[in-house]
Amino acid sequence: MYEDNTQQANPITRTRLWYVFLLLLSCLVLVRVFYLQVIQHDYYTTAARSGQFKEYEIPASRGVIEAHDGSRVVPIVLNEPKYTLFLDPPHIEDQQATADILLATVPSLAIEKADILELMQQDSRYVIVAKKLSEEKAEELKALELRGVGLREDPQRAYPQGDLAAQVLGFVNDENQGVYGVEQALDGALRGTPGELRAVTDARGVPLAANPENIRIEPKQGNRVLLTIDVGLQKQLEDILEDGLEHAGSENGGALILDANTGAIKAMANLPSYNPARFSEVPQEDSHVFTNDLVASPLEIGSIMKPFTMAAALDSGVVNKNTTYYDPNQFTVDGATITNVAESGGVGTRSMEDILQLSLNTGATWLLKQMGGGEINENARTTWHSYMTEKYFFGSQTGIEQGYEAAGSVPSPVDGFGLNIQYANTAFGQGMTATPLQAAAAFAAIVNGGAYYQPRLVDAVSEDGETDRRLIQPVVKQPNSIAPSASRDTRDLILNAFAKNYRTYGMDRLRDGYDIGGKTGTAQVPNPEGGYYEDRFNGTFIGFVEGLDQTYVIIARVDDPSIGGYAGSTAAGPIFTQLAEAMIDSYDLQPKMQ
Amino acid sequence: MTYSSSLAVGRQRAMGRNKNVTSFRAQARTIGPVSNTVIIVVLVCLLGLLYLSQVTKTNAYGFEVDNLETQQSQLISEYQELELNAARLQSVDRVQNSGVAQGLVPAQPESIVQ
Repeated sequence: MYEDNTQQANPITRTRLWYVFLLLLSCLVLVRVFYLQVIQHDYYTTAARSGQFKEYEIPASRGVIEAHDGSRVVPIVLNEPKYTLFLDPPHIEDQQATADILLATVPSLAIEKADILELMQQDSRYVIVAKKLSEEKAEELKALELRGVGLREDPQRAYPQGDLAAQVLGFVNDENQGVYGVEQALDGALRGTPGELRAVTDARGVPLAANPENIRIEPKQGNRVLLTIDVGLQKQLEDILEDGLEHAGSENGGALILDANTGAIKAMANLPSYNPARFSEVPQEDSHVFTNDLVASPLEIGSIMKPFTMAAALDSGVVNKNTTYYDPNQFTVDGATITNVAESGGVGTRSMEDILQLSLNTGATWLLKQMGGGEINENARTTWHSYMTEKYFFGSQTGIEQGYEAAGSVPSPVDGFGLNIQYANTAFGQGMTATPLQAAAAFAAIVNGGAYYQPRLVDAVSEDGETDRRLIQPVVKQPNSIAPSASRDTRDLILNAFAKNYRTYGMDRLRDGYDIGGKTGTAQVPNPEGGYYEDRFNGTFIGFVEGLDQTYVIIARVDDPSIGGYAGSTAAGPIFTQLAEAMIDSYDLQPKMQ
Repeated sequence: MTYSSSLAVGRQRAMGRNKNVTSFRAQARTIGPVSNTVIIVVLVCLLGLLYLSQVTKTNAYGFEVDNLETQQSQLISEYQELELNAARLQSVDRVQNSGVAQGLVPAQPESIVQ
């Protein structure tokens, strides 16, 4: 009986044991599931999302820069797809073979096989082999599907006009920042705003459209900017400047043409220049070629200041255009002697026109004295200072769309030592500094009737998606820099003085129907150790050419020329002359009368 | 006897006559618990299939959108390349150095007829 009972109980016990075992197993599974899904919920959610949820930046393409070409608009800075070739060394299977294939596919790689093999030994997942590869080469490399070799698209700026207007344009460096020129000044607008894509993706990285959490923010492409520059005129200016500097025996110089009635710059260049597409090849010691000296390098502008002093004296009513005075050919101010060049004619009665025609330093000093009631005093200094800073805007940036614009300097009329001689010097352009652009903008106000227009390089802007360009209107910073009557009288004096001197500047004849006038400036080059060099001069020439309804201001600057004579006349003068004639002959400047 | 009371007497008589008649009521058809479960499961499956088909379809559109975007960027790239080539071909330097330009001579202002 006992054995029978035992035999009957055993299967039940085994079954129960199985139940218990399964129950325990289920509990174990449940506990594990609870641990994974509840306690470790955040960890695994994050891990899953990191595999599926991708965040991409959608790059914004940099804005195109355009310029005028007569009546057309042409692009002068565009974007070009280029590629950076890089290695991911841990994934390279056969280093020797990979190096051979790379060199065979891209023979232009400026690298030896040994160097590639050395790069492959680097402890990095991103080793750059070459930059700026063309799209064709990139396609060839992609087709090879080499393991451990990658390509990254890296758009570059392209310059279809070569090195034309290089310093005006600036360039974009390897960090994708605009530096120098328009690229720097308008970096924010040209750069645009990258978009963003946050989405659940499949294994290939393609966003799954059904996910409601996907976020797509479209990029805002960089603005398209139309410059005031005319490429034909710019080319002429650069050719004329190159010839002019060669003729003058100078290595550095610049010139610009500005519309006196809008402040728009039509052409602007410095030499030596560079090719912005190859900015990285410019040696460190030559990096000054990147700078637009007409905007960024102030200088003592010399005698081209005299028309400004004359205009201030006429405007303030202390002289009129027919005034004459006795010129002693020298003044002593604060113990220093101010005198004239030998060709000035010496002591005598002089007219206002003589001051400009003979470039009399004593004449400019005499004008300053008249502003002080017959002597250089605080009243004279303060009056002249207000003209320089508030009417001509010397000593402050013009606001032109250029990187590294300089403000120049104007001495205080009340603080410091030797103020009278300092101010006497400023009356003929020494002891203060201004950029050629500042001088040109102020000169435009003198010849256009008195309105100071902010100089500008941007004519129109179109934002992403806009088909029409938004025109930038001229900005009048000071509607009455000088009175219209003072402007008219100053113009007459400049025209008359030029009519007597134009042959000195290489001009054969004056053109019927056009007003052409200008003033030379020859200033000693400051010695960094103090004082001035006795035998080194900078030549400048500022003037205007006017047709039926357009007036253009032209300024030329020639640094330290070796040609004989006064630098303003013999070095800078011919550049002005050629530019003025180019405006008449090539730029459709209509004459005032037929 | 009023008219209404005569009608009531008539109804009582009639009921008395039909005393043995069985009253049949239409019995409502019901679905058992198993059928209910099966139907619910089928419906849920159908809805699930519908949802899946919609999601799949939407994701398929996603691939289509992705392809179109790729095409769009390729076309933009081609356009940029063409724009660049056109600008290079029309550059001032190229025009100046062209055969036609080399054959030109500078015009004298006197020879221009306005």
